[in-house]
Amino acid sequence: MPADTENERFATTGRSRKGEPLVWLTAAGLAVGVIMALGLFLLILVKGAASFWPKRIELFEVKRGETTEMIAGYVTQTQERKDAEGKLVEELQIFRGNKDVSGEAFLYLDVRDIVSRSVPENLLLFERLTYGPAIGEAVAIETKDGRTEASGDILDELIHKSEETRAKALHIERKQIGKISAEMEQIGYDLKAKRISEENAAARKAELEKDFTKLKAEADKLNDGMAATNVIYKIADGRERSLPSGQLLSVYTPNTTGFFGRLGEALRRAWHFLKEDPREANTEGGVFPAIFGTVVMTLVMSLFVTPFGVIAAIYLREYAKQGLMVRIVRICVNNLAGVPSIVFGVFGLAFFVYFVGAGIDQTFYSEKLPTPTFGTPGILWASLTLALLTLPVVIVATEEALSAVPRGVREAALACGASKWQTIQRIVLPASLPGILTGVILAMARGAGEVAPLMLVGVVKLAPTLPIDGIAPFIHAERKFMHLGFHIYDLGFQSPDAEAAKPFVYATALLLIIVVVTLNLTAIIIRNRLKKRFAVSSF
Amino acid sequence: MSPDPANNPDPKRFEVSRATLWFDRFMGWAIRFGGIGVIIAVFGIFWFIGKEVIPLFKPGAVVKAAAVKSDTAPVILGVDEWGEMPFFYPGGNKVVFVDGESGARSELEVPGLEGVKVTASSYDPLRRRIALGLEDGRVGSFIVAYERLFVDGEAKGVKPSITVEPWFTLKNASGAVTAISYGDAGSARIMAVKTAAGKVEVIRLGLKGGLVGGKKLSVLAEVDITPEIRGEVALLRASQNGQMLLVADQTGKVSYFLADSSGVTKRQEFTPFGGIGLEQMDFLFGGVSAILTAEDGSQEQWSLYRKNEEDERLFGMTKTFPNIGDGPVTFAKSQRNRTFLTGAGRTLSIRHSTSGAVRWEGEADIDPAAAILDAKGESFWIASETGEARRFEIKDHHPDAGVQAFFGRVWYEGGAGPVYQWQSTGGSDDFEAKLSLVPLIFGSLKGTAYALLFAIPVALLAAVFSAAFLPADVKRIVKPTMEIMSSLPSVVLGFLAGLWLAPILSDRVPSVMMLVILVPLSALLTGYLWCRLPLAFRNRFEGGNEWMIVIPFLALAAAIGWLSGPVVEKIFFVYTEPGTGKKIADFSLWWPQATGTSFQQRNSLVLGFIMGFAVIPVIFTIAEDALSNVPKNLTAAASALGANRWQVVWTVMLPVASSGIFSALMIGFGRAVGETMIMVMATGNTPLTEWNLFSGMRTLSANLAVELPEAPVGSTHYRTLFLGAIVLFAMTFVMNTIAEILRQRLREKNKLV
Repeated sequence: MPADTENERFATTGRSRKGEPLVWLTAAGLAVGVIMALGLFLLILVKGAASFWPKRIELFEVKRGETTEMIAGYVTQTQERKDAEGKLVEELQIFRGNKDVSGEAFLYLDVRDIVSRSVPENLLLFERLTYGPAIGEAVAIETKDGRTEASGDILDELIHKSEETRAKALHIERKQIGKISAEMEQIGYDLKAKRISEENAAARKAELEKDFTKLKAEADKLNDGMAATNVIYKIADGRERSLPSGQLLSVYTPNTTGFFGRLGEALRRAWHFLKEDPREANTEGGVFPAIFGTVVMTLVMSLFVTPFGVIAAIYLREYAKQGLMVRIVRICVNNLAGVPSIVFGVFGLAFFVYFVGAGIDQTFYSEKLPTPTFGTPGILWASLTLALLTLPVVIVATEEALSAVPRGVREAALACGASKWQTIQRIVLPASLPGILTGVILAMARGAGEVAPLMLVGVVKLAPTLPIDGIAPFIHAERKFMHLGFHIYDLGFQSPDAEAAKPFVYATALLLIIVVVTLNLTAIIIRNRLKKRFAVSSF
Repeated sequence: MSPDPANNPDPKRFEVSRATLWFDRFMGWAIRFGGIGVIIAVFGIFWFIGKEVIPLFKPGAVVKAAAVKSDTAPVILGVDEWGEMPFFYPGGNKVVFVDGESGARSELEVPGLEGVKVTASSYDPLRRRIALGLEDGRVGSFIVAYERLFVDGEAKGVKPSITVEPWFTLKNASGAVTAISYGDAGSARIMAVKTAAGKVEVIRLGLKGGLVGGKKLSVLAEVDITPEIRGEVALLRASQNGQMLLVADQTGKVSYFLADSSGVTKRQEFTPFGGIGLEQMDFLFGGVSAILTAEDGSQEQWSLYRKNEEDERLFGMTKTFPNIGDGPVTFAKSQRNRTFLTGAGRTLSIRHSTSGAVRWEGEADIDPAAAILDAKGESFWIASETGEARRFEIKDHHPDAGVQAFFGRVWYEGGAGPVYQWQSTGGSDDFEAKLSLVPLIFGSLKGTAYALLFAIPVALLAAVFSAAFLPADVKRIVKPTMEIMSSLPSVVLGFLAGLWLAPILSDRVPSVMMLVILVPLSALLTGYLWCRLPLAFRNRFEGGNEWMIVIPFLALAAAIGWLSGPVVEKIFFVYTEPGTGKKIADFSLWWPQATGTSFQQRNSLVLGFIMGFAVIPVIFTIAEDALSNVPKNLTAAASALGANRWQVVWTVMLPVASSGIFSALMIGFGRAVGETMIMVMATGNTPLTEWNLFSGMRTLSANLAVELPEAPVGSTHYRTLFLGAIVLFAMTFVMNTIAEILRQRLREKNKLV
């Protein structure tokens, strides 16, 4: 790297005209590169943030042949389309919700067909458990005792109550019933392996079944209670619809809320996006399992890659005899960083899943066969595959950090009577720790953003359970998991309703980019600090 | 009192503690062990992938497994699906079964054949149906069925049985039936028969519904095709789909008839081998191809295909196999793929029709009179006239693999010529896998080429400016910005390409063209105008900010380009609707009409641009480093000699850093070739072999990601995908190694200066 003063070499713009346009061409190259980089981040940032921003709901009067139709919804996109004549016409994409009524949540309107547009104050956005949001006016609350007029307070109370009940029911269904079914399954395997007698098994099974029936009844009661109260609302074409209170997640008044109210709503949506499970084929709800899966996988990966990478680097730099052989190995390790990630995925599938995993199944889980336990893609294999993939990153970074430790410092340690290992342990490693950390963080960033190999070794579009939970043995290394990157692919390209999924794809992409860029920035900052430190300490 | 330590030091004071020494040694070994272990493990990866591929290139092997003897000369030899109990049918009213293991012999009688002489018979191994023609002019068939027997839950032995189907008497002909062939597709069936009088007839059979008693097999039509065959009939063969019939005469002419509900029509007459008589003729599995063998032992494959799009499907020769030699011809086809067993005399060979390869060749110790492959293709039986029979086990797991299949042009069934094609899975059982890696390699190279076409200019120009002109404090921000771009998850780029950019660009191709022309032009023009401004004015500005000054001009040019697109489209890209003659200015319609190639929304243009985000930072970083590290005394010397700033770059920096720049391109290539998610999401994933900018492709990497999770472990498809991974790996590894060596050279060269 040239020092600062060196870059003053062409401090004037030059008096010669020769070649000057080409200089400007190179300048344009840099400008394009920087604009591309920043533009992309900006695009994702804006689109991602916009997916949370509540839009005003408009009422459109649309020409349909002779008659007109009322459509309520918000504009999601304005785009150009060629009509039959080849002329570009403007077209609005409108989200009108109410998928249960119209079948399609989105609709395209030719701008020329719109007769009038207005923003009525009483239009509400109901978020529901199924079918996506509903758009309409609240009319009444209907119980078996009759109708009462709907008001904001009543709706809020209703939402609050059903939220609590749902949480209770979910707790019963997920935790307690989950525990029972896990034990039932275990009994089946024990029986097959002849670890328990048939009578004992039957007795325990009967007991469990009794518990199960009781819990099921409890959960059903809770769910039925929520179904008894209905919210009646009127959609744009004047029809009335009814929604069980248990289905109602939130009500939002987009057209009367001010800026801060909308900001609050956006933050609330972002928070729900982070903490909730996905619903409706991943197009509603949140991405919590994907965040969790990404984090767990990345951590497990770094747990594997750090020690191995550091040991290999210490060997190469401190112990191995520097010669042609080590040079070749070094070139190869450098090159491994450039080997396509999918090749590592291929290896992971063949070696970890079909070879090691199948071996483990044969030895330890033979009673479950032919259902594979470890002989199928899972989070452990995904982590190991990515650890291999990122190993060169850690090795290269560690080697660099080790070689940056000044020779004088080592010699001083040795002169003081420290052994080789003591020198490494007390002097070299602490000094190169930031460098190693940089390598590990870069590896994590690479691992977190990598998707292709995961498609082969363990990622799924929807995992019913998390890899770590409250049911023994708590850590389920064999389970499949969800991943932010794969979530993007799946939502964008495999989803049955790609349009509805789009805001979510942008939001997920934003989240993933924030994670990856943060990790990378951290690594760059650490690296810069490191440079300064050694610049002072070298002698 | 102890002595004064200063005068009399304890000698042990200078000794290192044992524990430290031991620990040091231990750690030394542990790290060596661990380090070498990690390195070996990393390289083990490629050994392991290689290991999965090797079986693909192994030739088939055949092992003699059993020898039994029956007392009957087999006219027809058949076997159960596990290859355990062959049957010998000598042509009477008895079928002899011999257990392959114990040699135990049993007999079953075919009811209704007492006292009648069987004058013609043929065998369909798929349904284990023996079709018979009788002396009294009746035709019919019986089916041999086997039932698996279980002892203690384990399969042990089989039990044969015989079911006879109704007999039919020929209406239009009389006398003995001398040849018969039965084509059975369940509902549609045909029988082709030849009588002693030389008449050839096609009988269409079908299930006719009676009001009582369900459906009954009956004759739907009986057609005399004798007039359409000129010579004396030598061979008759009906296809397994119950619709086609091949008739070969003594002179070696073959006629192809199609039988369907509209009747029996002669479609074609062809002369394989140029008029030599045929020894053997049989359809292969799938019923689209037939293998023909001439009297001189030459063997050819004829398949049905359309010569042009509009033509009807006719037979044409697609492959020539090695001559099988002299002697009585043996032939047996596989019932699960396109393998067949053939041979002349004692020399037998197993061949595969897709690749045209001989998988195995060997000698039998008996003279085979009949041969049969079992249903799974794991073994075959041959039997001699004397009743000797041999069972051979076939160890050939990947008959359709081979260098020719992966990298050569192959004439697949139904195709109009040999092609490179990748289509690994199909809808039906008789699907012929097309495993050429060439379209995938082509796709990878095409995607890479278009990506580099855009990335290289931008990255190199940026690198030159950054290394030569950019002030250091700006560079400290600009360089990491570009580097972070390289860490963008490719799945995000792919999704943007497929869902955001592709729909926008599909209507805006002319605009993009204008952009590509106008943006660089505007930069050049800005530079041209700038250096014509008065020197006094120019001197007020520090150099190095040009990249920011140029941005508004670029933006202006971009805006003009974008808006002028539709205008350009109206002038140059007007599509004329063929039917109505209506003129529409639309590039996506114009392109296919003008060039005859397709226009897809997810095309190489979109891909090339988005791949730029992944490739530009890689090339930029390495090229920038190489240019920055050009020794200062060289550039200073050039400046001192009066070179202006561009001349310094052009004559000194670029030549000195050229190998570094080259290595940057190589690394960029490696990154682009291996890129997976962008390729999966933005290319449409159709395996094509055309350089068309407006069509997609299917790359090696995307193919792996899409197909490997579905491929059964250990299958040919699975291993072929591994071969693809190796090709991909080799491409990047070679490129990266060259780049790395170049870079190290450069470093040493610069040191000397």
